[in-house]
Amino acid sequence: MVDVRAWLLWALTVLVVASSTRNPFYVVLLLLVTMVVGATCAPVRGRRGALPSLRFAAVAVPMATLFNGLTAHLGDTVLLRLPAWLPLLGGPVTLEALAFGALNGLTLTTIFSGFAVFNQVTPVRDLVRLTPRAFHEAGVVLSIALTFVPQTTRSLARIREAQAVRGHRVRGLRDWLPIFIPLLVSGLERSMGLAEAMVARGYGAVSDRAQPLRTQAFLALGLFVLLGGWLAFLFLPSWKAVALGGMIVGVGIIVGVLRLAGRAVPRTVYRPYRWSRRDTLVVLGCGLVLAVILLPLPLVNRATLAYTPFPRLALPPFDPLVGLGLLGLVVPAVVATGKSRS
Amino acid sequence: MRRSLSAAIYVLSTAIGVLAFVYPFVLDVRATGSLGVAHSQDAPLVTAALVGLSLVALLVELQGQAISAKTVAMLGVLVAITSVLRFVEVAVPMPGGFSPVFVPIILAGYVFGSRFGFLMGAFTLLVSGLITGGVGPWLPYQMFASGWVGMSAGWLGKISTLHSPLSASGGPKVVGNRDWRLEIAVLSVFGFAWGLLYGAIINVYFWPFAAGPVEQTWTPGTGLGETLARYAAFYVATSLGWDLVRAAGNVVLLLLLGVPMVHALARFQRRFHFEVHPAHG
Repeated sequence: MVDVRAWLLWALTVLVVASSTRNPFYVVLLLLVTMVVGATCAPVRGRRGALPSLRFAAVAVPMATLFNGLTAHLGDTVLLRLPAWLPLLGGPVTLEALAFGALNGLTLTTIFSGFAVFNQVTPVRDLVRLTPRAFHEAGVVLSIALTFVPQTTRSLARIREAQAVRGHRVRGLRDWLPIFIPLLVSGLERSMGLAEAMVARGYGAVSDRAQPLRTQAFLALGLFVLLGGWLAFLFLPSWKAVALGGMIVGVGIIVGVLRLAGRAVPRTVYRPYRWSRRDTLVVLGCGLVLAVILLPLPLVNRATLAYTPFPRLALPPFDPLVGLGLLGLVVPAVVATGKSRS
Repeated sequence: MRRSLSAAIYVLSTAIGVLAFVYPFVLDVRATGSLGVAHSQDAPLVTAALVGLSLVALLVELQGQAISAKTVAMLGVLVAITSVLRFVEVAVPMPGGFSPVFVPIILAGYVFGSRFGFLMGAFTLLVSGLITGGVGPWLPYQMFASGWVGMSAGWLGKISTLHSPLSASGGPKVVGNRDWRLEIAVLSVFGFAWGLLYGAIINVYFWPFAAGPVEQTWTPGTGLGETLARYAAFYVATSLGWDLVRAAGNVVLLLLLGVPMVHALARFQRRFHFEVHPAHG
């Protein structure tokens, strides 16, 4: 099984690529890669294959095509003309506008597909374990909430059954009142018991303390420098280098504060993460993709990433090296197949 | 000193979040120059990272203010209950943007205050995103916006009759002569406004990168007035109908659940405030 941190990098890489190109060849290739990885890596129980992505595409692509086709009156290939008195819609409907809309729908589907795979392959408990130590309380809230979700669902079913036995039927919104309020009250009662149990086990002894003044001061400083740098970056082009430096310093201060705050919270792990060779391969695959997309590598024509169907629809360019580079994202499927064979 | 620093962290984090949402409206062509188009490509990732970071900083500050076991437990359970509602919303398709998750966030903020409201909003969207497979680049923005829903509900609660008798004494007090009709009317207007505002805010994060007709798309350097007009046209064409259903749904749910939920939450607030302090000396 691939480590959750490697999966996180994989999902972010899909997002970076999908945000960086509008070339339909690359977008379709990326979509196919995410589908293959989903079909290969998702756990057999609960595996939904490409169905969620196809369902999303069935809505997103026609909607985006229709919306763009009816409202964007650009392009040379006019298919029909809507009366000019129609607000927003009046004007020529062009093949180029329809194609660009479909392309946007496809890009959205690709991003959705990438994160659908991420959601399928990463257990929630592994994601919660990624919570940095500085977020001890936030991690506890998250754990309690996730633990109580199944209990709450069972409570909801139990209350519905109890009310049904008493002759209560849910016909409209008003009929949910005798179900929701007992659910809320019983949940709050349980939280009272839980809080008492936490205190009895010494929870308040370590976490019922405010953080040091120094932490607050550096956090405020980091945010101030970051905000100032970002504002300068956006509005003062001549100060761009200084602004970027300020943003980096601000981010550095905040990350440093988080590390320091995390050190104050001791945490033991029953089953530690084990970084394997498979995880390294996945990271290398993502690194290859990011290098092809973001770095000016020799022989790689990054200009092919940009594509627009306007003013006249034409075949998009395709660089085989960029296409091959994108295949770096298929590594999780390859390592999963290799593991199942062995 | 501690309170001033805390306020500064609130203000700065919120300012970064607001800037992330509104920078298309204020970006000037003089600033972008020939790099305007480049900005439109690198901005989504940079902005998402900055929003995530400021959210993280705000969470560190919020949780660092000595959260008691009772608050942690109650927050966790309320988030679980609200997340189950979102699960129901995903499983049973509802009309338009109707979502039952905002009313519990609003009422929790209204009763327990702005800090609790922010955490409730942010964590509800996080947990429900985890259980419904809704984790994606949109999540930090959703967490921020729903956190603001809860935080502003806390401010509303502070100026209403509910909060004053409870917080003034710091303990239980029977609230007998409350004008429920006025409170629920105010909450309904608040819920309706946030029903529209939430959609308008969330749209802004992808609007600069959305394709469409020129009069509805963002172009760097068009000026504040023109950008607002374009966004308004985009919002009316794509989202208004959807968001109106959400806003109307909030009003219906607040009219239906408002009074009994506030009763239940206020009763537990009094119980949670009950503390025994041992006598010293």
